[in-house]
Amino acid sequence: MPAVKPQFTNILLVVLLALTAWHAFWKPDPPNNQLRLVFTAEANGKDLVFDQFLYENPSGPGQFRVQNFRFYISNIQLSGEDGTYFEPDSYHLVRFGSQSNKSSIELNNVLLKSYSSLSFSVGIDEPANSSIEPRGDLDPNSQMAWNWEVGYKFVVFEGSLKMGESIQPLVYHVGFSENRRDLLFTRPIEEDLIGTSEVSFKVDVMKLFDSASVLNLAQLQSVKFDRQDARVLAENYSRMFSIEEN
Amino acid sequence: MADQRWIAAVAAAVTIGGGAFFTVRALPPDPTPVAGFSAPFVFGRFSVPQDNPLTEEAFALGRRLFYDPVLSGSNDRSCATCHIQRLAFTDGLPKAAGLDAEDLDFSSMSLVNLLWGQERFFWDGRALGLEQQALLPIQNPREMAQDLEGLVSELNGSRQYRRMFRQAYGDVSSENIARALATFMRMLISADSKYDRFLRGEAKLSEQEELGRKLFMAHPDTKASLRGGNCIDCHSQFLTSGFRDGLDGFSNNGLDRDADLPAGLMAVTGNPAHKGFFKVPTLRNIAVTAPYMHDGRLRTLEDVMDHYNDGVVVSDTLSPLILEADNAASPPGSFVGLRLTDNEKAAIIAFLRTLTDETFLSDDRFSNPFEGEK
Ligand code: HEC
Ligand code: HEC
Repeated sequence: MPAVKPQFTNILLVVLLALTAWHAFWKPDPPNNQLRLVFTAEANGKDLVFDQFLYENPSGPGQFRVQNFRFYISNIQLSGEDGTYFEPDSYHLVRFGSQSNKSSIELNNVLLKSYSSLSFSVGIDEPANSSIEPRGDLDPNSQMAWNWEVGYKFVVFEGSLKMGESIQPLVYHVGFSENRRDLLFTRPIEEDLIGTSEVSFKVDVMKLFDSASVLNLAQLQSVKFDRQDARVLAENYSRMFSIEEN
Repeated sequence: MADQRWIAAVAAAVTIGGGAFFTVRALPPDPTPVAGFSAPFVFGRFSVPQDNPLTEEAFALGRRLFYDPVLSGSNDRSCATCHIQRLAFTDGLPKAAGLDAEDLDFSSMSLVNLLWGQERFFWDGRALGLEQQALLPIQNPREMAQDLEGLVSELNGSRQYRRMFRQAYGDVSSENIARALATFMRMLISADSKYDRFLRGEAKLSEQEELGRKLFMAHPDTKASLRGGNCIDCHSQFLTSGFRDGLDGFSNNGLDRDADLPAGLMAVTGNPAHKGFFKVPTLRNIAVTAPYMHDGRLRTLEDVMDHYNDGVVVSDTLSPLILEADNAASPPGSFVGLRLTDNEKAAIIAFLRTLTDETFLSDDRFSNPFEGEK
């Protein structure tokens, strides 16, 4: 038998070693699907426009403009044939502005192959609302914080109402744990979650003032700490969202 | 055969030795991370640029540069000319003094807790980070009027600076000057005021200070019988500076009418909805940073409270939160201002005084390093 050349043995050894190392460190990736939730702010069926007096007071005189509109979405959950996925630390600030009437949330590690229902809360659960620990987009030094004794604002709308020559401020800051609203959206068919997918929501800002209750903004120019008023707006904002089927 | 081996061995030794020599030469310096760096939990998250970690060497270099007049064209003023430690790094003037014997357009700004809050700098937010900011006053012909290339060669002429740059970063360069100054400024942390000690449970506020704190932290709501000064609508509860998110840290707080409204943030964004918006400043050490506002128009904290109470001037971009905040129920639109009582105004001022941090104002680490050398 002819002797094996030493170089050859060396190469063989190196290849074997590499194979073992590769084997030891390589693990199959768990299903790592991405879902993007896209929120589009609208009014009267069109893209919301900031800073211009374009919108009618739903039940009274004057036109209003929007200068600030944002809210917290939390505890996003997906359910499908292979189980339920809870996003960890699920606190997201959804904000719109003159630059963009869209805002999106990325779920980067969805451990499901498909889903047929999706749920989230508008607002924040009691434990997180009464804490100053920064989690997700919660930040006690942000505009959404009232102060640490009160908690966070869930939905913020600021603007002004023009009646003839007079311009009046509109300030709606709604919070308090009792005003968290849990929304559930079911899809007509099981939706695939392979790779990156998207789901779109319309947010109709007019519904904040014109849905369960119809408001006259000239009479109710601000809502902050009055519990009754805050509840009225919470009922309205729970109707502000709709899922877009395509 | 033996000769060949000998030659190979020498060649190998030369290659290895030479390689090692060049590697060591090219190896980045190994500066010491700032030890025991900690910040109050309530200040929240912060981030330091990856290419400019906080190190002792960068801090020492930045401190020296900050106090060194060599940074100005005629070697007669330093950053500290307009940013004085005893005054929480402001200069006590309504508007900073320009080189041309005329005032600059703006009042000098306090440099404190810059790791938190709004990430844009200057009153109109034109600088996007501290590294970018640091080189602007140096080159500004009305501030320090120094050309950067000239500065780099001046610094290269100093053995001590060459050594300090080598230990912190490597070469003397304008990028490294900016990085060092930014590091020094990031370390200017004030967290030992009476308010901080109160938050840590180590101090009690007086009755008046506590009333002031409550008013500072509340937006008034006559319907819910809640009185407030609404300061927290713009000055965050723990940092007392403007908000970090997006452009949330800019606002129009009612200093001028439309006809005289300066561009402010609009000069940077081009958005007319930002006309007259200015950076919401930190209120830490506010009792020592008079006069107040971007042009230093208000002399005292009493003047500031009078402004928010009944001196607000309406303009199109005035914050709706200021327009709406009122402690007296009245027909909407009939009055703009907080309408607090004299007692309540005094209480808010008493609270603002709890934000003075003597430890910070006299901390040796932030003082002029040249004084120790003389
Ligand atoms: C001539 C006086 C003067 C000098 C010298 C000067 N500054 Fe300033 N500084 C100012 C003024 C005035 C402002 C506000 C300017 C503006 O908004 O346009 C300011 C603003 C700043 C800010 C912004 C703070 C914030 O919260 O946005 C920083 C940081 C700063 N200076 C750092 C420096 C550094 C570093 C140096 C030295 C390289 C320096 N300054 C030299 C007057 C000065
Ligand atoms: C709508 C936002 C807003 C509210 C509410 C507000 N501020 Fe301000 N504050 C600002 C802005 C913006 C500036 C800088 C304005 C300028 O110079 O153009 C400022 C400046 C100041 C200054 C001057 C700081 C300096 O370094 O010159 C003080 C002091 C101050 N505010 C205290 C208060 C107090 C006390 C309250 C509550 C009674 C309050 N602010 C409410 C936005 C606000």
